[in-house]
Amino acid sequence: MSYQKRVAKNFDFTLLGVVVALVALGLVAVYSATHSRLLEAGSDPFFFLKRQVMWVIIGLVGLGLAVYLDYEVLGKFSKYFYLGMLALLTLVLVTGKLVSGSQSWFRIAGLASFQPSELAKIAVILFLAKYLEGQENLRELRSLVVPFAIVLIPMGLILLQPDLGTAMVFVGILFGMLYIAGANPKHLGGIITAALAVSPLIFFYVLKDYQRNRIIVLINPYSDPVGAGYNVIQSMIAIGSGRLWGKGLFSGSQTQLNFVPEHHTDFIFSVIGEEFGFIGGLFVLAAYFLLLWRGLVVSYTAKDRYGSLVAAGVVSMLFTHVLINIGMNMGIMPVTGIPLPFLSYGGSSLLTNMVGIGLLVNIYGRRHKLRF
Amino acid sequence: MPKVTELAIKRRIALVLLVAVAFLFILALRLVQVQVFQNPRLKEYAFNQRLRPMPVDAKRGTIYDRNMNELAVSVSADAAYAVPADIENPEETARQVAQILDLDYDFVYQRLTKHTASVWLKKRISEEESKALWELDLPGIGIVENPQRFYPNKELAAQVLGIAGIDNQGLEGLEFYYDSYLRGLPGRVVAERDAAGREIPGGIRKYIPPVDGKDIVLTIDQVIQYIAERELAKAVRETNSSKGIVVIMRPSTGEVLAMANWPSFDPNAYQDYPAANRRNYAVTDLYEPGSTFKIITSAVALEEGVTDLERRFYDPGYIVIGKHRIRCWKAGGHGSQSFVEAVENSCNPVFATLGMEIGEEVFYKYIKAFGFGAKTGIDFPGEAVGQVHKPGTIAQVGWANIGFGQGISVSPLQLVTAVSAVANGGVLVQPRLVSKIIGPDGEKVISPEVRRRVISEETSHKMRRILRSVVVNGSGRRADIPGYRVAGKTGTAQIAVGGGYSRSKVVSSFIGFAPFDDPELVCLVALYEPQTAITYGGVLAAPVFQAIVKDVLEYLNVEPYFDQEQALKFTGLARVPNIRNYPVSEAIDILTKAGFKVTVSGEGPIVVDQVPKPVATVQKGTTVILETSLENSEDNMPLGSEENGESLVPNVFGLTIREAAAVLEREGFLLVPKGSGLAVSQSPKAGSVAPRGAKVEVTFADN
Repeated sequence: MSYQKRVAKNFDFTLLGVVVALVALGLVAVYSATHSRLLEAGSDPFFFLKRQVMWVIIGLVGLGLAVYLDYEVLGKFSKYFYLGMLALLTLVLVTGKLVSGSQSWFRIAGLASFQPSELAKIAVILFLAKYLEGQENLRELRSLVVPFAIVLIPMGLILLQPDLGTAMVFVGILFGMLYIAGANPKHLGGIITAALAVSPLIFFYVLKDYQRNRIIVLINPYSDPVGAGYNVIQSMIAIGSGRLWGKGLFSGSQTQLNFVPEHHTDFIFSVIGEEFGFIGGLFVLAAYFLLLWRGLVVSYTAKDRYGSLVAAGVVSMLFTHVLINIGMNMGIMPVTGIPLPFLSYGGSSLLTNMVGIGLLVNIYGRRHKLRF
Repeated sequence: MPKVTELAIKRRIALVLLVAVAFLFILALRLVQVQVFQNPRLKEYAFNQRLRPMPVDAKRGTIYDRNMNELAVSVSADAAYAVPADIENPEETARQVAQILDLDYDFVYQRLTKHTASVWLKKRISEEESKALWELDLPGIGIVENPQRFYPNKELAAQVLGIAGIDNQGLEGLEFYYDSYLRGLPGRVVAERDAAGREIPGGIRKYIPPVDGKDIVLTIDQVIQYIAERELAKAVRETNSSKGIVVIMRPSTGEVLAMANWPSFDPNAYQDYPAANRRNYAVTDLYEPGSTFKIITSAVALEEGVTDLERRFYDPGYIVIGKHRIRCWKAGGHGSQSFVEAVENSCNPVFATLGMEIGEEVFYKYIKAFGFGAKTGIDFPGEAVGQVHKPGTIAQVGWANIGFGQGISVSPLQLVTAVSAVANGGVLVQPRLVSKIIGPDGEKVISPEVRRRVISEETSHKMRRILRSVVVNGSGRRADIPGYRVAGKTGTAQIAVGGGYSRSKVVSSFIGFAPFDDPELVCLVALYEPQTAITYGGVLAAPVFQAIVKDVLEYLNVEPYFDQEQALKFTGLARVPNIRNYPVSEAIDILTKAGFKVTVSGEGPIVVDQVPKPVATVQKGTTVILETSLENSEDNMPLGSEENGESLVPNVFGLTIREAAAVLEREGFLLVPKGSGLAVSQSPKAGSVAPRGAKVEVTFADN
């Protein structure tokens, strides 16, 4: 039986179904969030929707590729992906385009922008999984040095852009994968505790003013209601005004009057919360639960350690995104500017997540060890 | 160290799922919290935000003096604002705007890119700036008329008026205290707006016009205020004092006619002056009143019967209380003196004695009743309360010290209010600065308010005479004004420094009132830390008081009153003595001594009539014609002096009892004296015709 046939036979329809539902909801929400502003500016109201549809198609191609190629082959090449990705991250710092104060973007032929830090997550997952696969024993603190280095190097480059949100996703990936790989939980806990202990130093000496503000605003958004706290307050107003069933599609006053900045990207959850209410929000949370559950099943049932670790990496990545993004939309996480998987407008992110799902499907399809 | 088993890994994966579920559950709980429990508050916030009102400033009310002269007015000025949503090129716009308005580029840029409907760029822009902006016509930059506060008299009463900020809000002084009246209600254009601040077509829309602020009318008279400030500024300069205060109050009503602090400031440019110049020390600051407080001690001692006017004291130059030895300012002491003389002499040992004799409970009760240690309730922010020790909290010597005004802190206004009570017949009135509030719907008149009776009419009457005598005979001589019969008390209080008193730092003061029998005003002059060789209040402050009160009483058209001697000295006039019925030689003698020339008509030995008539007031040196009779015949009886006939009642005004008796007797009348001192009224009136032998009742009074 060929790989491909086996994949088709063991296809995880739940996973794909959830992704399709989320992407569809995302398209509706992006259109709702953007059409009024575009109309007003005299532009095509479908502009963002069309772009997002284009990226969905590209994402599906990426997903297909990730399913089609044997993940073990991907593992063999992961070293090159990783090194290439480091090169891109360096290059973007030099030649990239500045958006909202961060140098994270490549412009491709005037058509679209691309964020290398997004795909870097996949490269890190693949390479870290490859490295950890070979590590029989991670119980020693010493043994964590190399995995940390693998993640912290690209993370450092991303912090230079600076993009704190994406960097935090790397932390999520690192700890998720190390845990599944068998690292001593006491070590992991100890490192987190130590990091928290030095965080005041980082807060006062390393963070930039705007980042400091965001943490202060997290504690009290009303301390700066028209500055750094603005997004959070507006987002919470939007979500809060949705109540049980929401105000209905295209009827959310906060959304339609564009009170929430970036509500088609990082604050898309506020659009859903306002227009589809508590039910809509709960639906999104349930969808992510299914996604994580299926992802962990993939990790659990993978035929080898490498597949299990890659799946764990993808789950960690998605989970970190979901937790930070929805948390910040509801004022319990700092505003760090990372998208909500499959829902937020943004191509690089969508492509990355699609590829991640492709990897899960891939691993799941090949979960039975070959029996000769 | 064992290798992690396959099973352990699987357990870990399951654990991760649990953790993930737990976190998702937390997010779901937060969702419930935000959507269900926070809902009403957030919804309201959202609604208000969409109805973001654009304020339309109200015109701030005018502040007038008591004669409706403008002291603070609002005039229109242009203000520049920006609508960030409409700005096309923030960098370029910021550059141009910053240049024209002389602002910092970063400041302007930050405002132009703010997430808000509109922001002020600069209020009170000049005409040139306004014109330059208008000509550029930058999108998103606008100019509106915005009222600006203007104080036409510059530093006049500046600390009393206070200041108002550029957002039409009172910051200090009366501008602050009466802000709720002056401010008015800003109007609003309420329109439903989107996040960029643009109006939503078909949205809710309303215009609420502003309600202009109410005007307030002060009790202060700008002329009196000006006189006070002029003399105070001069005195502060001449004595090199660190500062000076003048408070003038109408004692019967508590109306403050003037309240001056020097150095002062121009409220139109208050940023250019030290903040200390903006303080209204007369209300907000405390000092030890020193000898001026003896007025209070005297009033209490008289009211409580601790002393009467005649009681005699002996001052050897000091008094020993317990371990303390209080010295009199006069080396060697004042010796034997009556109570009135002790006040005239400002003798500390006497007042220390009185302080103790009154007793702490009673003294404390009166001090509080006079309003010390509590706010006077004047309509001014930040009033100082002052420190008054409670009975039992300080040693006996403490009350002795308070007797002559040390160890108690008072605000200048408290002292003026208390002395007003002494002068006005004994009632404490509420001091105030505003008499009327005028709104579109009518006036609110603030009437005088009596707070309580503190001393009896009688004590007040005695105190007025004692304090008059301090000015006539005692330390306050330099405060006296011919015709206005000033009463008052000097004070030279040492300034408390740390735990003790500074020898060189004093507050030189004079508090008094005039005219003494029916005071038109009470006035306090205090000079802080004068740098002169002699710093006595009687030397430094009393002349300032005199200069101010003289001009003020003249301005107020208070009739001057001259007693006879003063009148003569003052005007060069003289009263023609009555020499009818005198032998001619004696009459010539009397007239010559009084400075008149004499012509005798007739040959008789006795003067039967005279021209001018007796008691007429004429220029000195006038010739008096004496008509004499050859013989003392019936025909030659003096005019109107027939036996059993009638006679002209002579004028005895201003004469002593003895003089009056002699004059009346000569005309055949009988004196019935009332009171003591100089004659102030008589009945029947001078010049009327009365039967000879009739009684003439004459009232005498002390001046």
